Amino acid sequence: MSENKQKLPLIESLRLNGRAFAFLFRQVPMVFLSNIAQSVFSALTPYVGIYLSARLIDELAGERNPEKLVMWVLWIIGTALVFGISRAMIQRWKDTRNVAWWFHEIMIYARKMLHMDFCDMDNSETFKLYHQIMQNTRWTGWGLERIRVLFRQTLDAVLNILGAAALSVTLFTQLVPESAGEYTVMNHPLFIITMISVMMISVILSPMCAKKADSYAPKIAECMRSGNRTHGFFSELSSEQERAADIRIYNQEAICEHYFKTTNEVLRSGKLLRMVRGKLGLIRALGTLISTLFTGVVYLFVCAKAWAGAFGVGAVTQYIGAMVALSGGITSLVSVLGAIQNNAYFLRENFKFLDIPNNMYQGSLTTEKRSDIEYEVEFRNVSFKYPGSEQYSLRNVSMKFKIGKRLAIVGQNGSGKTTFIKLLCRLYDPTEGQILLNGIDIRKYKYDDYMNIFAVVFQDFQLLAFTLGENVAAGQEYDRAKAERCLRDAGFGERLDSLPKGLDTHLYRYFMEDGVEVSGGEAQKIAIARALYKDAPFIILDEPTAALDPIAEAEVYGKFDAITNGKTAIYISHRLSSCKFCDEIAVFHEGAVVQHGTHAELVADEKGKYHELWHAQAQYYVANETEAVPDI
Amino acid sequence: MAGAIGNKPKERPKYGMLSNVLFMMREAWRIRKPVLITAVLVTVVQIIRNIAELYLTPSILGKIEQAAPLPELLGTIGGFIALLAVMQSSETYLNHFASWDRIIVRMEIGNRLPMKMLRTSYPNAEDKEYISALYRAWRGFAGTSSAAEAIWTTLIDQVKSIFALIIYVRLLTHLHPALMLLIIVTSIAGYLASRHISEWRYRHKNEEGECQKPMRYVSFNAVNRQTAKDIRIFNMQPWLEDVYAAGLRAYEAFFDRCGGVTMWGGILDAALVFLRNGAAYAVLIGMAIQKNLSASEFLLYFSAVGGFSTLVTGVVSNMLKLHEQSMDISAAREFVDRPEQFRFEEGEPLHPDLNEEYELRLKDVSFRYPGSDKDVLTRVNLTIHPGEKLAVVGLNGAGKTTLVKLLCGFYDPTEGEVLLNGVDIRVYNRRDYYRLFSAVFQQFSILETSFRENVTQSVADGDIEKMMECLKKAGLLEKIDSLTNGADTHVGREIYDDGMELSGGETQRLMLARALYKNAPILILDEPTAALDPIAENDIYMKYSDMTKGRTSLFISHRLASTRFCDRILFIDGGVIAEEGTHESLLKKNGKYAELFEVQAQYYREEGRNHE
Repeated sequence: MSENKQKLPLIESLRLNGRAFAFLFRQVPMVFLSNIAQSVFSALTPYVGIYLSARLIDELAGERNPEKLVMWVLWIIGTALVFGISRAMIQRWKDTRNVAWWFHEIMIYARKMLHMDFCDMDNSETFKLYHQIMQNTRWTGWGLERIRVLFRQTLDAVLNILGAAALSVTLFTQLVPESAGEYTVMNHPLFIITMISVMMISVILSPMCAKKADSYAPKIAECMRSGNRTHGFFSELSSEQERAADIRIYNQEAICEHYFKTTNEVLRSGKLLRMVRGKLGLIRALGTLISTLFTGVVYLFVCAKAWAGAFGVGAVTQYIGAMVALSGGITSLVSVLGAIQNNAYFLRENFKFLDIPNNMYQGSLTTEKRSDIEYEVEFRNVSFKYPGSEQYSLRNVSMKFKIGKRLAIVGQNGSGKTTFIKLLCRLYDPTEGQILLNGIDIRKYKYDDYMNIFAVVFQDFQLLAFTLGENVAAGQEYDRAKAERCLRDAGFGERLDSLPKGLDTHLYRYFMEDGVEVSGGEAQKIAIARALYKDAPFIILDEPTAALDPIAEAEVYGKFDAITNGKTAIYISHRLSSCKFCDEIAVFHEGAVVQHGTHAELVADEKGKYHELWHAQAQYYVANETEAVPDI
Repeated sequence: MAGAIGNKPKERPKYGMLSNVLFMMREAWRIRKPVLITAVLVTVVQIIRNIAELYLTPSILGKIEQAAPLPELLGTIGGFIALLAVMQSSETYLNHFASWDRIIVRMEIGNRLPMKMLRTSYPNAEDKEYISALYRAWRGFAGTSSAAEAIWTTLIDQVKSIFALIIYVRLLTHLHPALMLLIIVTSIAGYLASRHISEWRYRHKNEEGECQKPMRYVSFNAVNRQTAKDIRIFNMQPWLEDVYAAGLRAYEAFFDRCGGVTMWGGILDAALVFLRNGAAYAVLIGMAIQKNLSASEFLLYFSAVGGFSTLVTGVVSNMLKLHEQSMDISAAREFVDRPEQFRFEEGEPLHPDLNEEYELRLKDVSFRYPGSDKDVLTRVNLTIHPGEKLAVVGLNGAGKTTLVKLLCGFYDPTEGEVLLNGVDIRVYNRRDYYRLFSAVFQQFSILETSFRENVTQSVADGDIEKMMECLKKAGLLEKIDSLTNGADTHVGREIYDDGMELSGGETQRLMLARALYKNAPILILDEPTAALDPIAENDIYMKYSDMTKGRTSLFISHRLASTRFCDRILFIDGGVIAEEGTHESLLKKNGKYAELFEVQAQYYREEGRNHE
């Protein structure tokens, strides 16, 4: 990423940063307002101190009137007290408003992900982009994350420059008196211009050094990246419990040790060390040297003028303070501009992600709420390729679902079963062909409306660490009686009765100490209850028994009637025993539907795929009646 | 010592501050000498710079006040600036010079923690307390701001502050002694107040974490591809967003309270500065009027008052920082020191040999997990004869996996013993004992390096021909051949972007190839086919039966059908071997095994009968 990185032109950079600022300001205006308040306040306070101290020193160097001395002292400590108290109060406001900045930002990405079309969400390119953004945000703070800081730094620098300039104008306008003789040369415009130029040079050189030094950061990061990832992986691995047995049986600690050593070698390698100790270190040191020399020039000029009688001793401290602050202000303004340009590069990635369009939400038709659940779905010549893939995952699939019937879908891993379901539920749109609902292309319906006609238990379904009832209802407000009924229908009744907090029991221990851990089988029942609660015309079950032992598996089969009660049901399984419950079977092979019919028809076709699949499993159970067990 | 490594090592660190500082210095000297050399140089440079900065403005103002000749004034300025320029730029350079060496020292010591974890006795790997001790120990070594690196800055600053403090004390003795006392008291009071505030925050850390939890949970699930499908089908977005928003509100409310405490700290601080500066001005103005103190001297003393107070605060805060860093370092040293319950290098060596016969025997073995009050296995007796093919079946939670863990020597039995050819395995070097086994477990560890390293389990070249042979047997060769880099292709994306993500079936095959390559006398297979389709499952069964030829093997499954190729089947129920025999004999017995088999077989059998 960093090697082919080009700097964007300043105007384009400012535009992108401006867009980011406007975007964020709309979301969290208080973050920025509180920063403005604090910046204005903290920019101005030091100058009050500088000014007042200068008056005190002047008085000390001059007449030493005790009353005046006391007055200035009281002013100094009094204003310091008032400012100190106000600063604490403004700080509180700003901190409270800013503390959740990170979480506001995370929510922007999370919300985008939540509402993104599934096909984009499922795309590894999207994730690459997302992880890139997160990495930029977390490790280096570039992108949207940086906007708040850049805004603050720009504001601080500008205010600083204004304040310091106001306090140092008189340094140039106060003239050395004629009595100083030849030293009146310091009043000559040329002399002043020369001094200012010398100062400007050092003010500009110092940020240039910083910029040059910063340009090494990506190079170092690049060298370190693979080492960091390797080291991170092997360090993490050591504490991952599920790896512990393999680590010991396969002596993996030796490999880990090897990688720890090699990552250290990278660190010790000459290249990085030479960079840090050579150019990088020297450039940084040069930067420090230049800014110290600048201070020297300021001292020389201010002191010489004071010595020649242009102003008093007190003013010396004021001018030196103001000039150093001025140079600091200019330096940081230059570096902020550099950072803004740098940030624009990262912002492009941020916006590339945030601008991903929602194509699936274009439809406008509403699906009628039909009490007779007469929803007829038809696949017409549907073919499908995953984005970026050359190969078709589905080819020319045509199929009509019979309302109220049970369909089993079988096939080997990778034959397209799950893809078929994803298209049916419109998680993806077909590459070719059409899917029709009551004769109309499903893309014409409102997305949410179409989603409402499906309840699915995916193979890798997920429950959330909220309460049992919320999980069943997929929301915070729900009908308790209905949720309980669905749980009982799904076979969770006995377990429900054993839970003291019933529907209000938290799943898992993430939020609550008294949360319950559910077994794979129990989780499956809850997921089925969730599908029942949705009460949709289509119910789809993807591999619901893979992780279950025989008893639990038999229990799920036994519940099948209750589960599908009058709905159109689709059942995907490796365990062909489940086909027994279905009215119809579709056999998928290499993305196409190769057989379609009842179990009796299909198993009779001895050349068919179904026959092969069935006997691969059945042989173990019916061996004494049919052919022999594999010979071992 | 025993107490220190007990349950709460955090309370009393075993190693004191001095011990930890010396430890770091010793290690740094051994690993990277520049760390110490530059530390000494930086300290000296900082002391000189500090003093020069203190005298800079007052000396120059003095020259102007006295109307000294111009060359003298310019010379003074030039001298100071030259000194400061040299000091500041060399400090910058030295810090850069050493930064890398500091990282190296931290990493080299820090790597001992995962190494300890990887090598420790197996029960520790499943022990939550042990793992949290590892994380505690890691805290001191993770990242550039962690104790192991930050300690150098703290040490340098502390030595510098103490030296500078001595100089300031000498300077300020001219002033009122009560003023000095006041400075010390106000500085320490200010420091303690700010510490109290950060401790308040620390005490309420749990509350902060509780507020963050829902936000972290929602954002994790929002970007989780697996949850994505459920979220869309069940329209869960509004729910998740509500949970997030509620967390955000609670979080801000918490910090508003926290901000209140901080604000009062800020106000107290302003009041203390008011007191201290007021007193300093009073004393100095008095001296100016009575003793005719010059403006430049006034400025010198006044800056000295400020500087002195900063130093006092610095010394106190460095002391506490050093204490915390020392605790972090001690936690790591204690972790590495933890004693092992198994014998490793000090045990008797074993040299596994395929031509030798190994008999494994469980004698009156009972086992319960640490901290549990229920036996998982009760008085189990079992002899596994050399060359025998044994199957272990049972329902989930019956104790199958525990049995395997005892046989593999991952746990020692609570009662009874595990014997290898009649000898209690506890006497052997446990790492040698593990060499007896090839295994495919349900929970596995695939390294995200290359296929080659995963199969040969070594970074050296290994036996390429044998590796290819094993890949072929495992049915993975075709896949490997289709890849540009062949067996050197990376697995997974955690380390390498060009890595290949494996499907469940491919992972199974890779583990099979690895087990084949290891070719150890005893083979253990724990539920290896759960995620496969019928044809792939059948294929894997055939491969396993092929693999087990002439080998002692143990096959664990809850699919009863898959175990029919074994010589003997053990049916585990309720922590004991409930039934044992061949498949046929167990069916004839008509016990629990037969009942379970019937449950699975009925679907196939009925259909089969209808049909044939």
